[in-house]
Amino acid sequence: MKLKGFGTSDTARGLTLIAPPALFALLLLAVPLVAIFAFSFWSQDFLTIDYTPTLKNYREALSEPLYGQLILRSVLIAGAVTLTTVVLAFPIAYFVSFHVPANRKSLWIFMITIPFWTSYLIRVFLWKVILGYNGVLNSTLIGVGIIDEPLTFILYNANAVVITLAHAFAPFAILPIFVSLEKIDRSLLEASRDLGENHVMTFLRVTLPLAVPGVVAATLIVFIPTIGDYVTPRLVGGPGGLMIANMIQTQFLKLNNAPMGATLAVIAMAIVTVISLVFIFLNRRWLKARS
Amino acid sequence: MTTTPPIVSLRDVHKYYGTYHALRGIDLDIGAGEFFSLLGPSGCGKTTLLRTIAGFEDLSSGTLLLSGQDMAGVPANRRPTNMVFQSYAIFPHLSVAENVAFGLRRRSDLNRQAKAALVEDALDMVGLDGFGARAAHALSGGQRQRVALARALILKPKVLLLDEPLSALDKKLREQMQNELRRLQRHVGITFVLVTHDQEEALIMSDRIAVMFDGEIAQLADPQTLYRRPTSRQVADFIGVMNFLPASLTAGSTAASVEIAGLGRAAITPEQCPAGMPSGDCTIGIRPETMSILFDGEPAPARETSGQVHELAYYGDMTYYDIALDGVEKPVTLSMKNLVGRRVLERGETARISWDERALIAFAK
Amino acid sequence: MTGRGGWLRGYAVLYLLFLYAPIILLPIFAFNDSTIIAFPLSGFTTKWFTEIPNTPALVRSVQTSLIVAVTTAVLSTLLGICAARAGARYSFPFKTPVMGFIMLPLVLPEIIVAVSMLVVLMALDLPLGSWTVVLGHTLICTPFCIAILNSAFGNLDVSLEEAAFDLGESRWSTFRLITLPLVMPGIISALLISFTISLDEFIIAFFLTGTEPTLPVYLWGQLRFPQKIPVVMALGTILVALSVVLLTIAEIARRRGIARAGGKDTGGFL
Repeated sequence: MKLKGFGTSDTARGLTLIAPPALFALLLLAVPLVAIFAFSFWSQDFLTIDYTPTLKNYREALSEPLYGQLILRSVLIAGAVTLTTVVLAFPIAYFVSFHVPANRKSLWIFMITIPFWTSYLIRVFLWKVILGYNGVLNSTLIGVGIIDEPLTFILYNANAVVITLAHAFAPFAILPIFVSLEKIDRSLLEASRDLGENHVMTFLRVTLPLAVPGVVAATLIVFIPTIGDYVTPRLVGGPGGLMIANMIQTQFLKLNNAPMGATLAVIAMAIVTVISLVFIFLNRRWLKARS
Repeated sequence: MTTTPPIVSLRDVHKYYGTYHALRGIDLDIGAGEFFSLLGPSGCGKTTLLRTIAGFEDLSSGTLLLSGQDMAGVPANRRPTNMVFQSYAIFPHLSVAENVAFGLRRRSDLNRQAKAALVEDALDMVGLDGFGARAAHALSGGQRQRVALARALILKPKVLLLDEPLSALDKKLREQMQNELRRLQRHVGITFVLVTHDQEEALIMSDRIAVMFDGEIAQLADPQTLYRRPTSRQVADFIGVMNFLPASLTAGSTAASVEIAGLGRAAITPEQCPAGMPSGDCTIGIRPETMSILFDGEPAPARETSGQVHELAYYGDMTYYDIALDGVEKPVTLSMKNLVGRRVLERGETARISWDERALIAFAK
Repeated sequence: MTGRGGWLRGYAVLYLLFLYAPIILLPIFAFNDSTIIAFPLSGFTTKWFTEIPNTPALVRSVQTSLIVAVTTAVLSTLLGICAARAGARYSFPFKTPVMGFIMLPLVLPEIIVAVSMLVVLMALDLPLGSWTVVLGHTLICTPFCIAILNSAFGNLDVSLEEAAFDLGESRWSTFRLITLPLVMPGIISALLISFTISLDEFIIAFFLTGTEPTLPVYLWGQLRFPQKIPVVMALGTILVALSVVLLTIAEIARRRGIARAGGKDTGGFL
């Protein structure tokens, strides 16, 4: 509902209110994004920046196999993390929404989110501790007698990255799906049962389609930040688990090649946007086709 | 006609929302001490009109005078009006007493005791004495409404505006509150302007009613005139139940006669044509209570016809019959009091119907 | 529903174990008398905790983090109040794209934000310092504040403000007496959440910090020294405890706010 009659020029008042955050976003987001786009067309020699526009960064990024590999790996890892996280998150969101009494729901959500309001850095480090050669998991499994030699495939590679990120992004997937499930009118499910469907079919024909917006939101909320993650690949990824953000940081801070870093950032952003838009588009088509 | 000037005066008021013409040329005078209602279906503009008087909407054109003063440019918080909102808008974080005293905050001429005394009086007046310390969010719907009334009336406004105040209450409570509002208004003597879509409510409580359709006032009159002499088919249909029958009117030298489908011939006077006397084909309106079922042994009436019981609805004190008349497609509704000894007819029964020609109203086709 | 609830409940318990697994290790090894993080345990000690106040660099980084976090919380909550109120109550040209753009940092990988801000600062030859970290953190925290405050303002009945105005208050006193108290739980939540996000944030701080690092940046430097790890564990335990306390307060405030306004609890900030 809109406020009326508090005086003239409602619009002016609205504009005055939105001005501070809008200006802030303009200066600190719009300008930098434009700047990074511009930087990708420049070049840097040690500490001096050459402002002549050039495409050589893009040419190098697209021709040098290392960059392509890295980007592909980042997309695959992010995809694996997203799939795992969302698939694992759905049952628990469903459990809290449908099998927990209303007065306990916020308690469950609270308990689910507590681990994630702690230092991300420390959590990733703890996974390194858990998955390590002499780490908690191995020492426990050996101590209990399940294995004789420590497992090596669980640390310093892409697997470790996937496990750690799936843990880190769990609530980001759970919450949107939960919200979506909560919004479903329970009488719709009762109507479906009344019309003859069993539990499984009701779930597939009524619950799941209505939960799709939440699932889509969860997918995007997990995929987009995951692909740009720096800490996890650096700590647990080993040489084979590094992702695009690590390379961007290297370009900026080690190789003094900010333009190249900017180029990689632009390419990464473009790929993320394209994948997200394709996903949303496919989803719309699928929803329309069903109705 | 009283000599005191009207307390609310609207002249040629128009209101646009973009291209949507919400109020189309409203002319209205409300007298001091009146219980005035704005009645109409949803979207007719009655709430817009109320909010315009309150100051929450600006006029696109026209003038609004309150006690003779032009309200152009005067914001809502400086007008001599106070409003009871449809949702009651009780401040949930304050107690009942704090709510009622809210508008007194700026009154530096009153000390704390004086304010407390006024709050007590206000709560007394609405039947909530002793409720002052209660938390506002723990009240029932009816109690909230009384707090809203007390909060508005304590400021002694010239006009109290009420936006569908009873629509959120259940039936019994609504009837009780209708009586209470009426009593309160008489006690306090302030002008009340009420917005409602419930025509029964308007009839019960109001001194005068403005019936609105599509942003215009269709008819402005007291309840009896509105009921007995509606000036248009739309108003007739909106207030109470009205049967409409096709008819043909022949004008004579002193009076006119109508030939009504299903009923027969009758004489009709100019007073029975509030929208002007039509000629030729027209529509006759007749209220359910002005027709009666004739039982055996009753004397023959002036006007009689017959019909078949198509459907009936038993309400306990009354029975409503849908009677199919000869040559008329749609059944007419007829109401009968369920007096002791009077039986209720069954579906399909044929009945003799008497009707009163003085109750007819003629509309153009 | 009990039959079907059975396996789901089992799954939920397992899932919770998975979620809490790393966190549970923190206090275990924070009190463990060994620099190696592995089982079996070596014995109880509190020396790692006592080492914390004796490490000046660590203490300084905590101070820096606190200053940055408080500033970020206040700034992003203020901006969030402006944006949420403008969004809930007013309409103005380009409203949707502007609001969408302000929320954009929610869907941008943080490295992009960090790197692009760095680029601008480099180009303008501005020095890096705590203030640059505050700016970066405010940028990413404001959308969270807006999301929380949107629901707070959205739940506020417009007629409450109209009633206050009708009863004689000015626009500002209406805001002060009616709007603010009723939105206060949302404001507290926004403050606490942006404080927590800023306290924990690493990558933006890593890129934009000057000579005084924030706590996460300091920790990053320490992670390569094995003998420092138990101290990190101890610190982590304190941080977890602190976050739990803060979040419990936020949750209580949220529930109180709903009770006060007479609404119903739907579960969580969203």
